[in-house]
Amino acid sequence: MSDAEKTAPESPDATAPASSVSSSSLPSPSPATEPQQTRTLTVRVQRSGPGGANARFDDYRLSVGPEDSVLDVLDRIRVETDPTLVYRHSCHHSSCGTCAMRINGRERLACITRMLALGTDVVTLEPLRSLPVLGDLMVDMRPMFAHIDPDWGYVRPVEKASTGVPHGVARYTRLENCIECGACMSACPVSNGTDDMPPATAQPAQHAAPQSTRQPARQAASQAASQAAQDTDESLPTDSPADPLAAPLFIGPAPLAALNRELARHPERREELLHIGKGPHGERHCRRHMACSRACPSGVYPAKDIMDIRMMHGGGKD
Amino acid sequence: MEHIAIIGGGGTAAALAHDLILRGFSVAIYERGEFFSGATGRHHGLLHSGARYAVHDPEAARECIEENMILRRLVPQAMEQNDGLFVALDDEDMAYRQRLKDACAASGIPTRDYTPEQARRLEPGLTETVLAAMQVPDATFDAWRLALPFLATARAGGATIHNFTEVIGIDVQGGAVRGLRLRTLTEDVHGARGREWTAPADMVVNAAGAWAGKVAALAGVHVPIQPGPGVLVAIEGRVTNMVINRMRKASEGDIIVPQRRLSVLGTSMWLTNDPDHLDIPPEHVQRMVRLCSEMVPACADAAIRSAWSAARPLIGNADAARPQEISRTFDCYDHGTRDNVSGLLSIIGGKGMTLRAMAEKTADIICRLTGHDAPCRTRETPLLPARAFYRS
Repeated sequence: MSDAEKTAPESPDATAPASSVSSSSLPSPSPATEPQQTRTLTVRVQRSGPGGANARFDDYRLSVGPEDSVLDVLDRIRVETDPTLVYRHSCHHSSCGTCAMRINGRERLACITRMLALGTDVVTLEPLRSLPVLGDLMVDMRPMFAHIDPDWGYVRPVEKASTGVPHGVARYTRLENCIECGACMSACPVSNGTDDMPPATAQPAQHAAPQSTRQPARQAASQAASQAAQDTDESLPTDSPADPLAAPLFIGPAPLAALNRELARHPERREELLHIGKGPHGERHCRRHMACSRACPSGVYPAKDIMDIRMMHGGGKD
Repeated sequence: MEHIAIIGGGGTAAALAHDLILRGFSVAIYERGEFFSGATGRHHGLLHSGARYAVHDPEAARECIEENMILRRLVPQAMEQNDGLFVALDDEDMAYRQRLKDACAASGIPTRDYTPEQARRLEPGLTETVLAAMQVPDATFDAWRLALPFLATARAGGATIHNFTEVIGIDVQGGAVRGLRLRTLTEDVHGARGREWTAPADMVVNAAGAWAGKVAALAGVHVPIQPGPGVLVAIEGRVTNMVINRMRKASEGDIIVPQRRLSVLGTSMWLTNDPDHLDIPPEHVQRMVRLCSEMVPACADAAIRSAWSAARPLIGNADAARPQEISRTFDCYDHGTRDNVSGLLSIIGGKGMTLRAMAEKTADIICRLTGHDAPCRTRETPLLPARAFYRS
């Protein structure tokens, strides 16, 4: 677990609800009930229209308690100060995957990132990279899901052998770890256009890296995608959205991680699946930055999945 | 066919849109925030067998077991179907055992008894002091991925859905709803935010969950909604595979819901009038951990990954001294007959996992009011997978 995630509460005053740590815009609660660790911070939030139009930062000053997550604070800003603040959230416990964003420059889930554990007086919140901004902290997830087949499974057997199973249950199963939050897509330098690793001679595809790190990611990805399309007669699924980012050079870590899980579930479909994984937009573009695995809030390690696919024979590429 | 506007973007709204589309209506959903960001998404994820309610709320228990069996079939990819155990830890629990068993039988909930040894073979993490255990068909679900298929399927069938769109008015003329006044919260490319617009509708359904009272007030009518928040705690580690329930009257800190690499502990309950300001009292967090660790000791040592609150949409007018006993069933109000505002319905109460049943009841009433003879088809109609939502 990262250092910024919530840990067991150790409030000095067990009777004080977390809400006693309230925004500076509200009447202050009685000082006697205010937890001592409460601090006043600046939350700096990127605001924009679709496509990042008119992007700027808005600052909010508010007092933050030791248990407050970034999501708790966003909720408070929205309810008490600015109802037009747009961000995605649903489960509040790292299962749905909607609240991934860049927090002080790193991809994290807002729901399990404690504000005070970040250790900065200003906490900067920005939308994920690699995916089109729809507004403020919300990105369009469709380009990522364009490459994860909706019919791929999402349930797997549990890892631990059990000493028994209940009547009528053949084996214990569980949901996949990947919550499809997009953190890895944003962190991947190949996907987000910040790849500054020198070109490797061993790279199988000449269009492995965007042409220039100085280019905006969108432009670089778009150019690289057009080049990739010229380089190959294999095309992406026709139901991809029209946005140029939907047909990127590299489909990215999350779809490849999902693909590797589907391979484990359906070894009989190996050729078909490897055709995607080893195809013109697949694992060949990974340059082993490992940023995806570092960014994953859910213990998936997509870089390992990508290397698994790279090592496999099949898909017409070996 | 009539155009139905649904206010709220929770599980009930999604299931209702799906149901109405199948019956041939035109449908639009308006949600103030992200879909499923109220109580739906914050659910602990326990696909109840109904046993929790069998003794004191048999109507809710029957709804649960019926929907449990339907949802297992409709959305298997959103579930861990490992069943659940009720565990008895003291004499009081043992005294409750037969009542629970009889009540489950009366509600059609299958049960199976285990000795302490058998129970600990199934779940080695159970306390050594377990006295008896009973298997019920509980399961775990991912609330986002349980509800999203309904929305995806509705949209593929022609429903229009708007998130980050706040309903700021319900247009009532001559005692009938005519449409909605709306505000788009996102910014447009010109930097303008908060654009206001109107959308006509033949009927409007208030499916705003804990916010249903606020929405009803926009039309000048009242619904007896009572937001009942509770604290939930997700701890690191999967302490069991089966759902674990304490074998006693539904109370606090009596469920452990394993999911992925986590275990969700729940739940406390209090009553509030404002579902927008939900406390997460630290003493509730500590109490959930302490009570659940009586069943599975490992709960006490696990790091807390998240603690959060969710507001149940309870039907009000109940004794607040023991909010756990407020019925968890649901009701659909026709404000035409109740308040002389025709074309307005409110669907209130219920539980996350009764989304489909709530939709069926509401759509039945809409059919009756509009004179359409279209039967419900949501029990057997397959749903698109959750990820299909992002393909449209």
